[in-house]
Amino acid sequence: MQIIEEISKNRINKSASGSMLQKICLDKLQINPLPNHKSEIWRMANKSKLARFLDYKLNHDFYKPNIPYENESQNVIRLIIGDNKKINIKEQEWEIKELDDQKILNLIQHKLLESDTTQNWSALLNHLLTNEKNICGLNISGRNLPHLEIITNSKNNLFNSRTLILNIEKNTEVEISQINLGDDNCSLSNSSYLYLGEDSQVNHGIVSYGKYKSHLINSLNVFQNKNSVYNLGSLQFKFDFARLEININQIEGNAKTNIKGMQITQDNEQISTYAKIAFNGPNGFLDQLNKSLARDRSHSVFEGLIVVPRIAQKTDASQLSRNLLLSNYAKIDTKPQLEIIADDVKCMHGATISQLNENELFYMRSRGLTLEQASKLQLRSYYQEIISFLPISKERWDLLALLLNNK
Amino acid sequence: MVNDNLVDNIVSEPYKYGFVTEIESEKISKGINEDIIRLISSKKNEPEYLLNFRLNAFKKWQTMEEPDWADLGYEAIDYQDIIYYSAPKQQEKITSLDEVDPKLLETFDKLGIPLTEQKRLTNVAVDAVFDSVSIATTFKEQLAEHGVIFCSISEAIKDHSDLIEKYLGSVIPASDNYFAALNSAVFSDGSFVYIPKNVTCPMDLSSYFRINSGDSGQFERTLIIAEEASSVSYLEGCTAPMFDTNTLHAAVVELIALDDASIKYSTVQNWYAGNEQGVGGIFNFVTKRGKCIGKRSKISWSQVETGSAITWKYPSCILLGEESVGEFYSVALTNNLQQADTGTKMIHIGPKTKSTIVSKGISAGKSSNSYRGLVKIGSKAKGARNYSQCDSMLIGDKAAANTFPYIQSQQSNSEVEHEASTCRISEDQLFYLQSRGIEFEEAVSMMVSGFCRDVFNQLPMEFAAEADKLLSLKLEGSVG
Amino acid sequence: MKSKKETKKPLLEIHDLFASTENLTILKGVNITINPGEIHAIMGRNGCGKSTLSKIIAGHPSYEITGGNIKLSGTDIEPLEPEERAQSGIFLGFQYPIEIPGVSNLEFLRVATNARRKFLKKEELDTFEFEDLVKEKLEIVKMEPTFLNRSINQGFSGGEKKRNEILQMALLEPEIAILDETDSGLDIDALRIVASGIKKIANENSGIILITHYQRLLDEIKPDFVHVMANGKIIKTGNSELALELEKNGYEWTDKFIDKT
Repeated sequence: MQIIEEISKNRINKSASGSMLQKICLDKLQINPLPNHKSEIWRMANKSKLARFLDYKLNHDFYKPNIPYENESQNVIRLIIGDNKKINIKEQEWEIKELDDQKILNLIQHKLLESDTTQNWSALLNHLLTNEKNICGLNISGRNLPHLEIITNSKNNLFNSRTLILNIEKNTEVEISQINLGDDNCSLSNSSYLYLGEDSQVNHGIVSYGKYKSHLINSLNVFQNKNSVYNLGSLQFKFDFARLEININQIEGNAKTNIKGMQITQDNEQISTYAKIAFNGPNGFLDQLNKSLARDRSHSVFEGLIVVPRIAQKTDASQLSRNLLLSNYAKIDTKPQLEIIADDVKCMHGATISQLNENELFYMRSRGLTLEQASKLQLRSYYQEIISFLPISKERWDLLALLLNNK
Repeated sequence: MVNDNLVDNIVSEPYKYGFVTEIESEKISKGINEDIIRLISSKKNEPEYLLNFRLNAFKKWQTMEEPDWADLGYEAIDYQDIIYYSAPKQQEKITSLDEVDPKLLETFDKLGIPLTEQKRLTNVAVDAVFDSVSIATTFKEQLAEHGVIFCSISEAIKDHSDLIEKYLGSVIPASDNYFAALNSAVFSDGSFVYIPKNVTCPMDLSSYFRINSGDSGQFERTLIIAEEASSVSYLEGCTAPMFDTNTLHAAVVELIALDDASIKYSTVQNWYAGNEQGVGGIFNFVTKRGKCIGKRSKISWSQVETGSAITWKYPSCILLGEESVGEFYSVALTNNLQQADTGTKMIHIGPKTKSTIVSKGISAGKSSNSYRGLVKIGSKAKGARNYSQCDSMLIGDKAAANTFPYIQSQQSNSEVEHEASTCRISEDQLFYLQSRGIEFEEAVSMMVSGFCRDVFNQLPMEFAAEADKLLSLKLEGSVG
Repeated sequence: MKSKKETKKPLLEIHDLFASTENLTILKGVNITINPGEIHAIMGRNGCGKSTLSKIIAGHPSYEITGGNIKLSGTDIEPLEPEERAQSGIFLGFQYPIEIPGVSNLEFLRVATNARRKFLKKEELDTFEFEDLVKEKLEIVKMEPTFLNRSINQGFSGGEKKRNEILQMALLEPEIAILDETDSGLDIDALRIVASGIKKIANENSGIILITHYQRLLDEIKPDFVHVMANGKIIKTGNSELALELEKNGYEWTDKFIDKT
């Protein structure tokens, strides 16, 4: 594990300026360079895949990814983290400007200091390994903004690390799509932070897709102020090892969170989603659906946790995990959890694991469709529910076609 | 919130079974070591194989660590400060009930479990366990006519060693967990049931466990074997006096069901829970597991957990036989500072196995009530089905309700479904009942038992009514 | 035999009643007196305070009396808990009957009936006696006995819920019944069943308050008095003719009666 060796031998910061942030993370990681495998959120992680994730040489350089629709269109601002392009745009109704280093440090630091290393390992590793030019920090305000498309990519045989910090000012409404692209034999670490001001609304899409032996750990931290609305659609596929860690904090409650996520595994892949939603005030709302589909010898994991302390009265939270297991050698683990103290709340969760609905298949076949056609139709509707929730332009990224032709 | 003043005025009913029986006990010295285990074994005149079973378990226990993963907080237990064997002093060999100390009979009378021939329950056979020993087993002869063996496990060790040797530890090996290992090393008594082929047990069997002495732990062991096409319904009840120290109860229950056999195991657990400040009460760390070895066999657990300071209990089913069925129906009520961490494991190994889980948790006061469950569908369990439903009811805003279901599937031709919800007693529902003239307390207990209806329906008649009463008793003074 | 004067002692007296919820004053001086055998109708726009009045009488904990009083047969009911009011003969037919999962309807009806009987110093009924009684009362609302085995109001249609309310009224034999929009959400057949049920239960010793928006219930049950409520007050009282006038002219017509001060 090259990366871990370098951490232990203190070789990481030699060249880089060695920011405050990197110093904090190094101190923490030198004590425990690897996450605690006994802990609940790392127990299911495939050890050899995690080792492979850490077994590439660290890279800070920028390589232009091969992506559809190279040019920005009028309604889309495209940004590739690491390519050094400055973004400072001010229009009549809206403004996007870069955050200064101090502000970035402030926003991240407060998160890093608050919990233990195991819970935060992915973020600590990311901040230790991301150098300045791979950090993108933006302040976004206003309405009628163009669609924001933020791409993080990786180069083969290298370990790539990127950080994204978005401060969404109050009353702002914005659509952001984030594309994580994996390359052959590579690792990508991505930490994202979204701060939602009062009365703001963010429609956020995260699409992660890899190639051959791609590895990804993506930690997403969202802080919602009151009356904010956060909609997240996520899609993960084609990664030998991928992990999405979602942490939502409704700082004062009184906010809305809608999450629809999907992960598709095949061959020998392992893809996991961990979602923790904490309500730290009353009247919070959550509607979460996580879907997974496992083929071949793959392994799909979902672990959700809803935390409702005494202060969070009148919370209305729902978390569903729907899983399709399409092979006898594949494995699905799901664990939707509730921790509740407040008494005046409405919380429910559910989980199902099954295969494609036989009655529906039979019905379609009795009308002359082949089994394959019928299955494809079913899968299409299974995918569609999530894809239509992603704020990602269909012209630029035809995800449904990508998924259906994947195999 | 609702009727605050009224609630404050309701005086909590004291624990009804908190009395101590003044009886001379034979106790061995505190602590655990090899000599103590040899002593327990020799007191019970056990055969060599059983002593070895105990000593092996003790060796394993010494290498194990006390689990800390359950959502429980309690002060460390000093295992050298516990007495591992305590028995009421009486004649060496008792041949009939007449020779049992009348104080003991009186104790069970007071608990509502009369043992003497004139008074005993007519439709239930009872094995009464007092501290470390079984006092009496009723209806033994009548059961024997059907070939049913129902006796204390100590007797079974002597008289039915072939069955004991074959099955003891076959479902829960000594190395299974810390408390199972401890139990295997020091278990004192418990019940043994054997139902022969094609026999439907003519009456319900029941064990009643009574902890009387304050410094001894209770480590009973129960083994039930249902041969092909047999069936039995077994009931278990528990109480203990009020002491301000904590008493450890670490039981092991093993069930074995062969082809087409069915075992229904029901528990009403009402150990002393400690007082309102959380002082005293039983630590209830229990391992219960059933193995559906045979095709179409069925094991059904139902439990009403209302007592104990801490409960740590996951009655489970290993579904080996094709088309075997596992069930778990649970009501867990916690009040004051009680903590309960309970649930089940359904391990689907054989094809077309089915399991159902219905769990109802009610948390009041400052208590904490967690459901922790595992549903595992193995790769050979083609056509397996599971349905789980876990509902929590919160009473007051200081109690905690947690749900930790864990689901794993490796078989695509299977279906798992889990649902969970949280609710409270709404002000509107209370008002509706009150506006029809129903007293506040009665309205609350009606709604709580309504919430538990699905589980109560699974209990044998004798238990269902008792469970209902127990719940309303336990809840008094907690709503507001 | 008692003299006529004695039997006309008022059943329910509402005197200058003020009430509020969450610091919002809803009732601002309501006066109504109901004598045995009388049927009163209270009409008015949404939000005029009709439902609040019914909840106040039944003792809903979210509402508070801030002035005036309510007397049942001469006794102030303010200190009484909701169940004590019910036991002493006040019945509220809910506009939206509450669903209570898991609790059997039959068991609920039996406990409620016995609580009332105990108050009346009548013998309490055991399961079998009660089943006989309830079957007899089921006739009044034309309900099937299978209703009894379901959970309270759970999965009942709107009409079934309202019939269940009238069944409860028949069992509890109240002194005074307040029926809050019992007619809402009913089709014409269900309305007839409910109305004829109410008529069968009504007698010369008890009083009924019908709270409604519409004339159609009053076509079935002719009230002795009609009160129009607005802004938390009774602004006009008349006989059944008043309801017809309202039907014809709408509530705007009553606005002129509102005390602008």
